[in-house]
Amino acid sequence: MNTTTNFSSLHGPDARVFPAVRKLLLLRVRITYNSLRHARFRRKIGTVIIWLMLLGFAIFILSMSRMLLGLMRSPEFAQYVGVDLKAFLATIPALTLSGLFVGTLLTSFGVLLQALYLSGDMDFLLATPVPIRAVFIAKLLQAVLPNFALISLFGLPILFGLGISSGYNIIYYPLVILAMIILALTAAGLSSLLVMLVVRALPPRRAAEILGFFGAIFGFVCSQAGNFANSFGRDMNISGGQATGILLRSNTLWLPLNWAGQGLVALGEGRWLTGTLLVGATFGLASIAFWFALVTAERWYYSGWAGMQVVARKKTTPPPRPFNANGTSLGSGLARLLPKPVLAIVQKDFLTLRRDLRNLSQLVSPVILGVMYTLLMFRTGGEPPAGRGEAPDWFMETFRVVLAYGSVGMSLFVGWMLLSRLAGMGFSQEGKNYWMLKVSPVRVGHLLASKFLVAYLPTLGLGLTFLTVISIVQGLSILEFVYSLIAIIMCLAGMAGILLSFGVAGANFTWDDPRKMNGGVMGCFGQILTMLYLPISFGLFIAPLGVAQFFNYPIIYGYLFGLIIGSSVAAGFAFVPLWLVRKRVERLGEG
Amino acid sequence: MPETLIETRNLIKRYGEKVAVNNVSFDVYSREVFGFLGPNGAGKTTTIKMIVGLLQPTSGAVKVAGYDVQTQSMRAKASCGYVPDTPNLYAKLTGRELLRFVSDLYNLDRDQVAHRIDELLRMFDLAAAADDTVDSYSHGMQQKTSLAAALMHDPKVLVLDEPTVGLDPKSARLIKDILRQLADRGAAVMLSTHILEIAERMCDRIGIINKGQLIAVGTMEELRTLDKTGQTSLEDIFLGLTGGAEETEIAEILK
Repeated sequence: MNTTTNFSSLHGPDARVFPAVRKLLLLRVRITYNSLRHARFRRKIGTVIIWLMLLGFAIFILSMSRMLLGLMRSPEFAQYVGVDLKAFLATIPALTLSGLFVGTLLTSFGVLLQALYLSGDMDFLLATPVPIRAVFIAKLLQAVLPNFALISLFGLPILFGLGISSGYNIIYYPLVILAMIILALTAAGLSSLLVMLVVRALPPRRAAEILGFFGAIFGFVCSQAGNFANSFGRDMNISGGQATGILLRSNTLWLPLNWAGQGLVALGEGRWLTGTLLVGATFGLASIAFWFALVTAERWYYSGWAGMQVVARKKTTPPPRPFNANGTSLGSGLARLLPKPVLAIVQKDFLTLRRDLRNLSQLVSPVILGVMYTLLMFRTGGEPPAGRGEAPDWFMETFRVVLAYGSVGMSLFVGWMLLSRLAGMGFSQEGKNYWMLKVSPVRVGHLLASKFLVAYLPTLGLGLTFLTVISIVQGLSILEFVYSLIAIIMCLAGMAGILLSFGVAGANFTWDDPRKMNGGVMGCFGQILTMLYLPISFGLFIAPLGVAQFFNYPIIYGYLFGLIIGSSVAAGFAFVPLWLVRKRVERLGEG
Repeated sequence: MPETLIETRNLIKRYGEKVAVNNVSFDVYSREVFGFLGPNGAGKTTTIKMIVGLLQPTSGAVKVAGYDVQTQSMRAKASCGYVPDTPNLYAKLTGRELLRFVSDLYNLDRDQVAHRIDELLRMFDLAAAADDTVDSYSHGMQQKTSLAAALMHDPKVLVLDEPTVGLDPKSARLIKDILRQLADRGAAVMLSTHILEIAERMCDRIGIINKGQLIAVGTMEELRTLDKTGQTSLEDIFLGLTGGAEETEIAEILK
């Protein structure tokens, strides 16, 4: 039997690039189809619903942009706002396509790093007689497709809406799609070059960790920027006319990224020569850039890959402190109080959280939020607005107290964010290493206690820091400070209990990337429940104070009553959910 | 008289309709190395996971060092060391930190731990990498770290799932010697392997599992008597018992 000949003939036609690309992409489609086919019915339904929602969303944007852009183009609107927006509308394609290019360039980086260096299939693919160029193209397409689809979901309806509202020529529409594809591919090609440059300096895994860290920070800061811009930038009044001017000036032909947008508008308006020149120049330049990226990436890839195969072990600098559960930085007092396995797990978790930047990125977001709100508080001084000065003194005093405790509530919210990660994923973060705990003689109670402490202690530290800052800024009395301190200690404990319990119920040990360890439906339930628990629990501390004031009882009764009720309920939430899931902990990791 | 250190009785594990392990009963005694063989998907790893407490049996019982794994799990686990087929270890701990962590989980005496860690690191040729994080280790180094972790508390029972996979000949030989020494000192060693030569050379007794059922247990001599064709090598006996003879014929044709 001549098996060698048969196998060779199978690989023969793959020597050409495009059939090989086609095969690799079909393989990806098959994998996606198989994973969907074997998925649970719930997930299949969910997928269909998501697709329908996305389709609906695209249609909504299309109709909205058509209507709004049509309105902005009308002479009545121009007369009403006093600015002719036609020139501004003509910048939309350039803006959208530039956004697509830059967005793809940035977002493809992480995906390509994963796909080219960290996915398990590259060893296999490089060992087969598939042209490396085909592998690259297939990887680029795979990397660019999800982000391209996402950006297109917003961009395409806007550009089509503009075309419809402006009555553009029919040729505008297919060229918009073509321009988007070509620019996205070019951006992905350049992104692959960036990946290979980075991999020359850093091991890919480390690069992915750093990228994850800064990506998460950047994303979080961007998401909060809108909120804080209003507060910090009240003085920076930019009129609509000035904004339009800036946009018009940025739509210059000196920037090649604007060529496609301007060309498409010209073609849409029937200015054939200008349009053809600009669009043709864009396509030509993009094709050259893509080809250059492919050829260069091919050369660079092997050196990066080869470097990865012989990664020298590096000493951790500075050398890690000896791991000793009884003589740790956690304090010898704590060491004496807690059983050795509990301390060991606590210290192990702190070490692994600190050393993996991808974990750190999830933990640092609440800290950033806390710092930002603290800065805001410093700016406002934490005083209630004086208004016209008509309000009676008792009202202003109550308002000040409410504002002070509102800030304490804010510190609880920051704590909630941190606990969602630390407690909600306390068990999931063990991942595939959970077997080490499961085969060890560690009691369920000890395991739960250690995970509780890992989540609770840093959150408490953050909450207390925040409270101290609030106390200084808002001038809380000693009594208010101590009371708030107890409220925070107890409320956070209850919250940790709830989130940790749901974390047990939704524990996921199968992840490879810490950012994908979320607790699924159970994790969501935990978060929703704690969002309900938080105001109720904190309200039980605060409400008796208001009641005491309202009925003219001494305030100390309010404090005592709040302390008893609030602490009892919070303690109940700290212990009861964990007691309920103790049996489940015994079965964790059994798939 | 040798002590029974692993006892499995009518062990059954079902996943829905599928029966992964079906009524398996066998004993492993002190001072012996017990080889657990079977084709892929036969139920070896599932059985091992039930012994070390990673999986709860659907029915049946497992005792380790005389303690029931379900009802006296803490004592059973404290007596047992386990080396999985894939060494998933905490990647961001150093080798030394990992061993220290394991020693704390087993509540070992602090004064003896440092010396024990140094001894194990030296024995497995890991001393130079002791302060590097585990994610920088090769597969073989991780496998050896995993074995060192399992030996930290000097267990009475050691269970290993494919311990020699990915090891260089020197390390594989070292592990074989260590397992023999452990058994000679009174421990029970149970290992699953696909390398029949290792099983034939190392193991005092062998159990063969196929399609979830234990089809043979005994010494090499006892297994030979089971095979009606009078085969002498473990490979022939194994293939004869597990129905792999047809595949052997196909392989011969392909040659």
